[in-house]
Amino acid sequence: MEVPRGTLVRSRVVSDLAVTFESVLDEALTGYLVLEPQDALLLDGETRAVLTIEDGVPTLAYDPASDADGEAALTDLASPGPYRVEVYELDAAALAEAHDAPEAAELRVPPALPVERLAGDERLAARTREAAPDDRADAAAADPVEAFLADGETIDRIREEARAEARERAAEWGLDDQLVDGEGDGEVGAPGQPTDAPGATPEEEPFGPGDAVPPEQRDGDD
Amino acid sequence: MVEAFAVASGKGGTGKTTSTLALGMALAAEHDVTVIDADTGMANLLFHAGLDDADVTLHDLLIEGADADVHEATYERFGMRVVPCGTSLAAFQAADPGRLREVVAELADSTDVLLLDSPAALGSKSAVLPIVLADRVVVVLQPTVPSLSDGLKVQEYARSYGTETAGVVFNRVRDDESTDRVADQASRYLGGELLALVPERDAVRAARRAGEPLLAHAPDDPAAEAFREAAGRLDVRDGSGASVAERFRSAVVPDEV
Repeated sequence: MEVPRGTLVRSRVVSDLAVTFESVLDEALTGYLVLEPQDALLLDGETRAVLTIEDGVPTLAYDPASDADGEAALTDLASPGPYRVEVYELDAAALAEAHDAPEAAELRVPPALPVERLAGDERLAARTREAAPDDRADAAAADPVEAFLADGETIDRIREEARAEARERAAEWGLDDQLVDGEGDGEVGAPGQPTDAPGATPEEEPFGPGDAVPPEQRDGDD
Repeated sequence: MVEAFAVASGKGGTGKTTSTLALGMALAAEHDVTVIDADTGMANLLFHAGLDDADVTLHDLLIEGADADVHEATYERFGMRVVPCGTSLAAFQAADPGRLREVVAELADSTDVLLLDSPAALGSKSAVLPIVLADRVVVVLQPTVPSLSDGLKVQEYARSYGTETAGVVFNRVRDDESTDRVADQASRYLGGELLALVPERDAVRAARRAGEPLLAHAPDDPAAEAFREAAGRLDVRDGSGASVAERFRSAVVPDEV
C-alpha cells in the first residue's frame, strides 16, 4: 500500500491518543497519521501504523513494516503508550485515489474502531461515527468491548505475542532463569507456581526512557 | 503465612494505586498487610497514603551504599504497613532495582500479605520485577479495549515467570448494562477470580486529594464496598513467611556485588 507523502502538520508524543483523534476530527483533517508506540510491549519495538483520515474520520490502517492490515494493524499498535504521532495533510484527490486502490479494500477499518481500540473513548467514538459518511456507517449497536472479547483469534494473537515478547525481553534483561518452562497457555485460574529456579545473576540494565516521569506529569492515579 | 501479590494493570489510569491501598486496607481486617510502592519510576502511592513528607522511602533502600534500614522506610498507616517510594528522578536513576528483591524478602519475614503496586508498563527490567517476584498477580482493568488488551499482555508476561493471576478487578466501571457481560466474557481469558466491579465514583478522587486511601476517606461509598468484596474473594494462601523470604533471597536475589 502506498499513500502519497503529505505535508507534516505536527509531530508530538502523546500519552492519550484520544487527544489526537479529537483534534483531527475537530479540524476535519484529510491526510494521515503515523502512530508509533514509544514504550511498546511489542516484539521488535519498531511497530508503527499509518492511519488515513478523510474529513476527520479514520479510514485505512496498515503497518508499512509488516503484513498487518486494517484491524490487525490496530491490534499490533495497542500499547500503554505514550505514542509518537505525526499528523500529515494530504490533497483530498490524492488520498481518494489511494483509498480507491484495489489493495485498499483489506485495509479499511470501521470509522470508530481506531478510537475504540487505541483510545478507549466511547464518547469520541460516537462522535466519530456520527461524522462518518452514511456509506461508512459501522455497527454502533455492537459494544466494542464485547466485539473485541468475542474475537478469539485476535485475543490469541495478543497473548501469543506477549508470551514471545516476555521471553525475548527476559533474555535481554538477564531474567531467563526466572522463566518457567513451556510455551503453553497455562491453565486459566491454575494455582501459581513458585519461581524456585536457581538464582539469576542479571547485570543491571540502564533504565528505559519510559521509566521515569517527572512528578508534574503524573496522573492522580495510574 | 505470606503471600505476595503484584497489583498490575498494563495501562495507566486504571486506578491501580487506589486499588492497591483499598485491597490492602480491606485485607488488613484479617491479615497483617504490607503495601510496597514498587512503581519506582512513577511512584505515587505516597500521595494516596498521606506520606508526601516521608523522610525515608523505598528509593533509600535501593541506592547502593545507602545504609537505610527497611524499617525506617516502613510506616504504620491505616492499619497497614506502607513502604512508599520517593519521586526524585535523581534517586530513581541512582536506585538499583535488583535490591527490591532483598527488600521484599526482608518484609516477607514479618507480614501475612504483601501487595506490590507495580508499574503500568513492562518496558524495563525494573518494571517487570514486581511480577517476577510476586506469588500471584491481581490485574486491575477498566472495561475498555485498550485496558483489556494490556491486561492480557500483563497476564501473559506474569505467567511466563510462573506468576498466575489471582483475580481481576474491573475498576472505574460506569453504569452500563453491558459490563456484567463484558466481565463474564473477559473471565474466559483472564485467570483467577472476578474479584469485583468497582464503580467510577467521585469519592475516589476526593480520597486522593485528601491523601487518604478510599476505605479510610469514604468507607461507606459503593466503590469502597466493592473493594471490600474483592478482598473477600481473594483467597490468601498459607505459606511460611520464612520460606517465602528464603525463596526470594535464593531464587531471585542476584549475587550481591
